[in-house]
Amino acid sequence: MASLTHYIVLSSILFGLGTIGFLTRRNALILFMSIELMLNAVNLMLVAFSNFMADMAGQVMVLFIFAVAAAEVAVGLAILIGLFRHVREVDITKFNVLKW
Amino acid sequence: MSDLGFSFSLSQLWQVAGGQIILLIAGLVLIFVDLWLSTDKKPDHVATMGWLTALSFLVALWHMIGTEWTLNEIVLVDVFSADKFAIFVSAIVLMAGIFASLMSIGYLRNNKLVRSEYFILLLFAVYGTIAMVQSVDLLMMFIALEVMSLSVYVLAAFLKDDRRSQEGALKYFLLGSFGSAFFLFGVGLMYGLTGTVNITKIAQVLSTGPLLENPGVLVAMAMLMSGLFFKMALVPFHMWTPDVYEGSPAIITGFMATAVKAGAFGIFIKLLSVTFTPILAHSGQPEFQSTVNLAALAVYWKPLLWWLALITMFVGNLVAVSQKNVKRMLAYSSIAHAGYMVLGILAANDEGRMGVLFYLFAYTLMNMGAFGVLYLFDGQEGKAQTLDDYKGLGFKYPALSFMMALFLVSMAGLPPTAGFIGKFYLFAAAIKEGYLLLAALGILTCVIGAYYYLRVIWMLYMVEPSRDVVAGRVGVPSMIALIAAALGIMYLGILPEGLSQVANVAQQGLAMVF
Repeated sequence: MASLTHYIVLSSILFGLGTIGFLTRRNALILFMSIELMLNAVNLMLVAFSNFMADMAGQVMVLFIFAVAAAEVAVGLAILIGLFRHVREVDITKFNVLKW
Repeated sequence: MSDLGFSFSLSQLWQVAGGQIILLIAGLVLIFVDLWLSTDKKPDHVATMGWLTALSFLVALWHMIGTEWTLNEIVLVDVFSADKFAIFVSAIVLMAGIFASLMSIGYLRNNKLVRSEYFILLLFAVYGTIAMVQSVDLLMMFIALEVMSLSVYVLAAFLKDDRRSQEGALKYFLLGSFGSAFFLFGVGLMYGLTGTVNITKIAQVLSTGPLLENPGVLVAMAMLMSGLFFKMALVPFHMWTPDVYEGSPAIITGFMATAVKAGAFGIFIKLLSVTFTPILAHSGQPEFQSTVNLAALAVYWKPLLWWLALITMFVGNLVAVSQKNVKRMLAYSSIAHAGYMVLGILAANDEGRMGVLFYLFAYTLMNMGAFGVLYLFDGQEGKAQTLDDYKGLGFKYPALSFMMALFLVSMAGLPPTAGFIGKFYLFAAAIKEGYLLLAALGILTCVIGAYYYLRVIWMLYMVEPSRDVVAGRVGVPSMIALIAAALGIMYLGILPEGLSQVANVAQQGLAMVF
């Protein structure tokens, strides 16, 4: 039987992986996935807490976060396509017109 | 959150969140109005949309000041509260929205952009910001934060043919969502530790239980804070700021630097003074006695904010000196201004919070004004973007240059402008709490700041023009906005007592969020 700690550790690891992925990868699409992984790590944590505390609020929150994540990806991909039309590239190191 | 039945009446909802409801309905209606206007092929339907948007902001502002501000005791409807602090910040945001929509009419015309969804996005961005500062529920804060951010991401990417706009928007999107994910992780952890996401209940649970010994609380606090630091653009969470501010449409840059920042500062102060270090703890009232031990958390965030304020002020001002592009220079200057405001939060006394509110108000006036002039100089032909392009414009466009000079003098913090008074309040608050060294270093960075602001004025008036710059046409709406901003800065610089008293009432409203 998995305890609450297992879930917290698992979701923290997932969140950490997302963070590391975001900071080290160079493909913009992978960065999107990393952000999704971070959001879903939080979802997992919320569901686990909700279950162990027998409080439905946590599960309702997950639904809200799903909606936000979907909207976020829609906007993000649109912006990426807008930029792709100019650059023909998804490597973030090529997005370098703006710098000091 | 835990019971899904409503515990409030509709009239209460209207009293507390009427401003938001007005904006939401206005946004939905304007989508159809836009459809109707644009199928009619009316040439100036963009201008009509701009005026309607400004009108919606005005109606919402009227409701907030007329109804929500006059509520004598705080009314809560599950997730929103009509505390005076939130109303004051909302009023700043609405003011920025009115400036932005008026100036955008001219901006869109000068840049030949006939796309009025711009104004609907602006409406929803303002709506999200107001919902965010009025919420007393971490999940609602997150959702409102995302409503605001998503609208602003799209606005930042509005110039489809300009690669810089697209690139800035993508960077903003990536780092913004990264920051939001951190905030959300903090929300989740807080929920798990305390069983609630209501910020006042969290304070109660934390103060009564043995939870304060739990390192999870510190992690959650750090996550919530760092998520907000991204939005407040404090160094080292500022990496996106210059790029986004340079690439975005000029008016949107001004909006991001004022309204979005005001919203982020608003909920940051709210979280600190309601949840992590309740300001009522030392009021002597018995029901808040138990929250005294929460003050222990200040040991962790005070040194953090000390260092953040210091490096934000230094990096913002020092890097701004080396900028050639005026818009990018103003981006770094906005980072520096965030640093000054952190000084007021760090002081965490009545004067500090009042100073932050006053400064946010004054900063909104001067920054929206500066970007208003900037977009006019950056007209369709002969774009003036770098410092060299500004040479000699003072004689060619005396009125615009005079206003630019006024806004920059105010940002530099020279009397008799609102910027000087605001800085005075912030530094006085920090000195009162014993942060002498930080205040002294801060004043030093103000001196560095004055150099690059005054350099622009030098270029405008003291140097021969290098090339022929043609400014964009100044329309009636932009003129109204610019004159209002300039008069506001002069007025607040000479007679600041009125606003500072209102700001003081507003910050006392925070104590009522319990």
